[in-house]
Amino acid sequence: MLTRRRDRWLIHGLAIVLAILALSPFLWLLIMSFKTNAEIFHWPPRLFFPATLDNYAALWTSEFRTSFANSLVVSVSSTVVSLVIGVPAAYALSRWTTRSGNTITLWILASRMAPPIAFTIPYFLAYRYLELLDTLTGLVLIYLTFNLSLVIWMMRPFYDQLPRSLEEAAWIDGATMWQGFYKIILPLSGPGLAATAILCFLFAWNDFFFALILTRTDAMTAPVAVVNFMNYEGWEWGRIAAGGTMIMLPVLIFSFVVRRYLVSGLTAGAIKG
Amino acid sequence: MSSSLQRRFFIFCVAPSLAVLAIITLLPSLYLLVTSFTPLNLTRPETAWDFSDPLISYRQLLTDDRLGNSIWVQIKLSFWTVTLQLAIGVALALLLNIKSRLLEALRTVYLIPMVLPPIVVAIIWKVIYTPDISPMHGIFRSLGWNVPALITNPHWALTSIIIADTWEWFPFTMLMVLAALQMLPQELIDAAKVDGASPWQLTRHVTLPFIQGVLLVAGLFRLIDSIKAFPLIYILTDGGPGSLTEVTNYYSFLQAFNFSYLGFSSAITVVLLAATIVLSWVIIRAVGWGLRVD
Repeated sequence: MLTRRRDRWLIHGLAIVLAILALSPFLWLLIMSFKTNAEIFHWPPRLFFPATLDNYAALWTSEFRTSFANSLVVSVSSTVVSLVIGVPAAYALSRWTTRSGNTITLWILASRMAPPIAFTIPYFLAYRYLELLDTLTGLVLIYLTFNLSLVIWMMRPFYDQLPRSLEEAAWIDGATMWQGFYKIILPLSGPGLAATAILCFLFAWNDFFFALILTRTDAMTAPVAVVNFMNYEGWEWGRIAAGGTMIMLPVLIFSFVVRRYLVSGLTAGAIKG
Repeated sequence: MSSSLQRRFFIFCVAPSLAVLAIITLLPSLYLLVTSFTPLNLTRPETAWDFSDPLISYRQLLTDDRLGNSIWVQIKLSFWTVTLQLAIGVALALLLNIKSRLLEALRTVYLIPMVLPPIVVAIIWKVIYTPDISPMHGIFRSLGWNVPALITNPHWALTSIIIADTWEWFPFTMLMVLAALQMLPQELIDAAKVDGASPWQLTRHVTLPFIQGVLLVAGLFRLIDSIKAFPLIYILTDGGPGSLTEVTNYYSFLQAFNFSYLGFSSAITVVLLAATIVLSWVIIRAVGWGLRVD
């Protein structure tokens, strides 16, 4: 529709300028994490400032390291558990056509849409009795509320695309149903599994609300730890920026890997994007 | 393979998920509902299973001005963020929907705000809204403008939340619109061109009608998500100044975990949950309609 060269140049230029403008708040934080506190308050900002890794070093020797490890453990565990329970269900729901399938779908969408506070209050009360407050197990459990649904949502369309004749051929050769799924279907859904695993990891990693309420000190995750820098230790902007950067780093890398699946992941699969 | 054997295998596969989902989602929802019928206050243990006046919290809901205020704040926040995100998302999607390597690479760059951890987005905007270190305030000062701190200013607090939230989520609507635009049949465009349509007319009469289904769905998704807004408000304004940025979700959080009124907070949350379920149901209906379009 816009074939003229001049228009093309104009559009490209505009798109680049807008992208820089849109990303500037994010870039500012990134750069801030390499500045000393004096440099952070310096205006106008110097383009070439003596970069320092002090903020990161300070984080690494503080309790933030434990929180970062907690985040990793909880996110990976929640991902693994969700996949182990959810993937066979996604496969069965794809192959098994029953009328109750739609009800299950609706239930899963609703549990992904529910405001987190709806789960937080009952979990908080129950965890007080079960002594799961401030434990990693407690977090893994509540992260299942969104990750298990996510696995079923994401994986079902992958299995819909794989022809039934694949496992039927294996059955004729004497394989059991379990073997047909485990040896034939599962390896073929590798890319889907990888994308789903990454999205599960990201959703667990990004959580702030559940961790804020259900943890205190022992099981504190990285996002909560960074916020604590603001509340208790004065305004250590350099460290806050460095902490924020460390939290977003895995997210940026993984998101880039799964960018094709972001739409279906974020809309809980309601749109085939 | 006999069909009864298949059935048994499928049940064996689905059962664990359904059992776990029932325990981790249905049971807590019921517990929430039960709690909402008690005046549970954590500082007074005897209130835990007190069903002597089950509707006390719900009656309180009707007379609580602060709740009314929070709903009004929520409506303003949702209206402006959803509207702005749709407008910016559509504009950018139309801009980027040209076959070109560079623009395809840029699409990924534009997604960054959406994939950032919400807490990092909140920190980013805290930096921007803190005058001492903010590049924005630095520019204002250089221009000689005396701009007060926006997040503590009654006239600007909600607007500053709206700006930050719009920044975080415009990539979502952009992404969905782009996906829809790629399904726009070339014949439709060609036919309109043959009829002599200008680029503006083409957008107005061909493209926009084609994507309206997706716009509706994207808007609904953002609407539901806007009810959950938390990290931005928690970090930037803490609901203030006064309760000018206190949305319903946040008010419920304060009642439960700052004031220990879990019974009352549960009642608020039950209402929120009901609203979410209604909106989810609308989405499912709308998606059915959207699928018929493409």
